[in-house]
Formats: sequence, structure tokens, C-alpha cells
Amino acid sequence: MIRVEAPSGRPEAAFVLLLLQSLFWLIAGLSAAPFVLGGEIHMAGLVVATLLLALGTCMLAIGVLWRRRRARGLAIALEVMCLFGTAILLLLPIGFNRGPVSLMVNVALPIALIVLLRKDGEAFA
Amino acid sequence: MFDIAPDHAIGLYVGLLALPLALIAIQLRRPRDVSGTVLGASVLMAISGGIHLGLVLTHRNETITAALFVMNGVAYLALSQLYSWPWWRPASAALITMTLFGYLGYIVLGFDTPDQVALATKLLELTALGLVLVPVAGERPWRRRRWGTLAVAVPLLTVVTISVAWIDALARPDTQHVHVGAVLQQTNEVATPEQEAAAKQLYDQTVVAIAPYGDWHKAWDAGFRPGGSQSLPSTHWMNQRNVDAAYVMDPKHPQGLVYANSKHGPVLLGAMFQMKNIGNFGPDPGGPLTAWHQHENICFTPIGFEFSLMTPTATCPLGAIDITASPMLHVWIVDNPGGPFAVDIDEKVVKRIDQS
Repeated sequence: MIRVEAPSGRPEAAFVLLLLQSLFWLIAGLSAAPFVLGGEIHMAGLVVATLLLALGTCMLAIGVLWRRRRARGLAIALEVMCLFGTAILLLLPIGFNRGPVSLMVNVALPIALIVLLRKDGEAFA
Repeated sequence: MFDIAPDHAIGLYVGLLALPLALIAIQLRRPRDVSGTVLGASVLMAISGGIHLGLVLTHRNETITAALFVMNGVAYLALSQLYSWPWWRPASAALITMTLFGYLGYIVLGFDTPDQVALATKLLELTALGLVLVPVAGERPWRRRRWGTLAVAVPLLTVVTISVAWIDALARPDTQHVHVGAVLQQTNEVATPEQEAAAKQLYDQTVVAIAPYGDWHKAWDAGFRPGGSQSLPSTHWMNQRNVDAAYVMDPKHPQGLVYANSKHGPVLLGAMFQMKNIGNFGPDPGGPLTAWHQHENICFTPIGFEFSLMTPTATCPLGAIDITASPMLHVWIVDNPGGPFAVDIDEKVVKRIDQS
């Protein structure tokens, strides 16, 4: 009997992770909005920038799902930047959160995405 | 919310133990006709099952909770290995959804409070749900229905789960987290007469020492500078020299002053002592009356020196970073309903001064 090897599903798995990441940023953006109403006027710019980042990440997720090479490249660049930023914050003595959730979201998730988006095998060849 | 509850830590260890076992199980079976997303969901469900079973050990006295943990853990472990079963996807999606709603019900009813183990488990389950539902290229069965379910369920459950956990943590803080983002120094519960006298002495000395700074020009000359927007009701003015010198609760050298931003200029509200290092609470002469507090998991942006709160998923807005401010103690020289050493000053008091 000939067994057909199933697709790896790497782009689909990357889509799910990018979708979750965009939702985390969406929540972060929305949660800062009340501080704008409280008088922190500069926070308004951060809210808009974060919501745009969430939207952009969601679009990248769709691009990755459609096997767009540009989306894949941009997603890798985004995750490398996230990892780099997290590494700096972990090294600085500023009390950056080192709990399991923080490590999952800020370290494990970008690493998993970079692994899923690598260019070998059938997924992104 | 950002701590690991002592009775939940065991769940984390068992969950981590389940990870290599789940990977070994996949290696042994070598399922070539199963997509990577399904195997990923299988591993995540095995970890989640391990966490739930681990929690049984510390919840043996709570019969119903322990029974639910056993049923949940066994169901997760079983489904993590049954991925060739035709009804695996609906069964897994239903189990994950029920578990998420069950947990939310538990915290809304006050049976549990969200902590790092619970939140990490929920993130694993949400990821597993996405992997269970997402159709890979070439998969035909229920393709459109699965996309539809994924597009609605994952965003909705993610937002609802995080929001409910966050609202619960803010609305029902424990005794150490009485103020948003602030962790209180642990002290005895009721102040002794000696502690009351020591607190009064500290208050009196501070009132006298900072009296000249009622004129903000003198504070400026002494090196105090506004540490944030002056469009807010009040602003902390920090003295970098006093911060660097690391004076410890010295009324003559407070690290900061707090001013209300009134129509007629800054009005002195009080002083702030601050320790140099994170986690190093200062001397506490007044016991519970003069407990220090440390602001943890706040998102700070250098753009305008503004703050917001880190989300339960440890995310800050773009341009802000998660920081912890070293322990501080305020001494309010205006009548503050929370007391002269309260973590924060009453908003109504500041508003009244601002509008005076």
C-alpha cells in the first residue's frame, strides 16, 4: 500500500500563531486607550501605532497562508525584531516580566514562527 | 495574575514533563499521513492534559475541582493520541471550548484567581484550538465550515478569555495587590502603638522638611524636575541627585515630590521616597501604616513619560516597554482619605485642588 505523506501545514500553523500575536497587540492597543482619556495624550499615538501593527500582523498571517514570499520575509523580519527587543529587555535591569506567559509570548512564539517560516521542505519552497 | 500560585506550580512542572513524552509518542508512531498542524495540536493538548492532571495533586481537598481536573486531563491526553479518529476535530474543539468557558466560569464565580500557570494553559489551549480547526492545503472535509469556525472562535475566545482574566484580577486584587499594578510590602496586620508613633514622627519630619517646596521654584532650584506630562491632574517631580545618592527614607532628601497641576501652577501634595533597587523594600517604621509599594508590570513609554498597564499576555503597546519601578513610599501632606502614607492620593482631592 502506498502511503501519501500529509503536508506539513507549516504556513497554516504560522497563520494561527500570527493571528494570536495580532490579537495580543490588538488587546494591548485597546487597553492603552483609557489612559488617553485620563490625560496621557502621547499614548494616543501608541494606541494607533499598536492597532496598525495588529492589523499588519493579521494581514501578514493571511499572506503567509497564501504562500506569499514577501509576507513570509516580512513576518520573519517582524519576529526577529520582537526577539531582539525581548533579548534587550531581558538583559536590562528594569524588571521586565520573566513569567511563563511572557516567555511564551515574547520568546517561544517568535522562535516558533521563525522555525515554521524557514525556507526548506515543501511549504515555502 | 503575574505570579505563580504555589498550588499551581506543580501543574507547570507536569506540563513541562508531558512535552518530551508527547514528542516521543509522535516519534514512535511516525504518523506520515497526519499534517503538522494536527501533530502540533496533539502536543499542546498533551501538555495541557499534563498540567490539569498535575493540579489534581494540590487540589485533592476540593473534590469537585479535583474531579474536573482529572476528567479534563484524561480527556486531553486521550484526544492528544486519537488524532486519526474521524471525529477528532469536533471532539477536540468542543473540549477546548468547554475547558475555556469552564475556567472563565470558575474565576467569575470566585472559585479561583488567574495566575501565570492558568494563563499559560489558556494560551496553549487557544493555540491548540487554532491548530485543530485550521485546514491545511489539500484538505477537503468541512473546509469552509472549519475556516468559518476558526475565524470566529479563535479571536472571540482569545479576547474574552484575556479580558475576563484581566477584569477579574483588577476587580478582585489580593491583599498584596491593593492598587493597580502595585505590590505592597508585607507587614504585620495592625500597627502597634510604637509603629503609630514612628509613623507620626516620619510624617511630621517630612512635612517640615518639604515645606519650602510649597514654592515650586525652590524645588526646581533644588534639582526637582517634572517626570511626566503636566496635562495630568498631578505630576511626580524627581530629583536625580537624590535618586543617585540612594538616600533611604531621608525626609530632607526625598527622591521625588508630587504636585497637583492647578490653574495657578503646581501645588505641593507630598513627597516620595524611593529605593534604588527593584525588590528591595525600604525600612518600615510604621508597620502597615508605612508599607512601601512597588509598581510591577507597567508599560512605560519615553514619549511623554507616560504609563499604561501590561496585558495578561505580557504585551505592551508599540513604543512602550514593560518595567518595574523600585519600591516607593509616599507621604501626603494634604488631607488624603486613604491616609498620609497611602499608595495613591484620592482623585477627588487632586481635582478639588486643581480647580481651586
